Amino acid sequence: MATINASISVSSDILSYPVRINKTMTMKKAGSCHGLDETTGLRTKKFGAVTTAAVIVEHDELTDDKAHKVYIRNASSDKAGFFYVAYNASAAAADTAETIGKLYGGDWMLMPYDGNVNITVASNGATEQTLEYMVFADGIVAAAG
Amino acid sequence: MATTTASLSISSSDLLPGSSLNINASSTLMKTGLTTGMELMEMGNAEIAKDYEGQLFADGPATDDGAYFIYICNNSTDDTYYIEYRLHETAIGRLYAGDWMFVPYNASDGDAEVEVKALTGINKIEYAMFKTAWTLPAAES
Repeated sequence: MATINASISVSSDILSYPVRINKTMTMKKAGSCHGLDETTGLRTKKFGAVTTAAVIVEHDELTDDKAHKVYIRNASSDKAGFFYVAYNASAAAADTAETIGKLYGGDWMLMPYDGNVNITVASNGATEQTLEYMVFADGIVAAAG
Repeated sequence: MATTTASLSISSSDLLPGSSLNINASSTLMKTGLTTGMELMEMGNAEIAKDYEGQLFADGPATDDGAYFIYICNNSTDDTYYIEYRLHETAIGRLYAGDWMFVPYNASDGDAEVEVKALTGINKIEYAMFKTAWTLPAAES
């Protein structure tokens, strides 16, 4: 069993009083006190200055209906560029009901993932962008020989 | 202009054999168009009992294809308790007791409300949305 800790800190002056969110979680297996201990690894992928859609997480590599976590960051510094991120069987990500949102340059996300459908991205094509991502897995399915 | 900064740290000393894992990221949340910081937000908490399924954030007041961020934390302590994070009745992932999530949201097509569904227990959640724009419903005459 491994121990993976993830902490978020949000600070804002949107309201008339300071907004502070600070939370730490230890990533655990579904319904268990045991920690996640598998990963598909930390990956980076460059997308050129054209609109490109791609699958970054293939659900058939992961056990269905589990407590996986997916970390994604747009590692580019240019705020003009973004990626659509979607929970989708196909690569298109722009305007489906399963589009999760847009990650502009520097933005990051950490979300729970059940492993039932692919995670896809689509770059907006305005500029070259680099995506960084990692799955913390609650079960990896070994590829058949 | 307001300034909202979201930072992440992920660490593990024993996930990867022979090396430690340290991921750090930080971002200033900007409105759609990216020239000014987000100036709207809402936050709250709720108890969500088993079998409840409903909207946490409607997408009607949001600007289609806009820039938003959502934070949800399940503050329950029983490891078997969890809620599903859903978009328009599509389950994306399970948020177990102690888990938090931080994701972008773009109200993609006018039919992409953010929903939660409790599968076990009475889940105590806290949530926040950072917004580009939000249109309040018109008063009834």
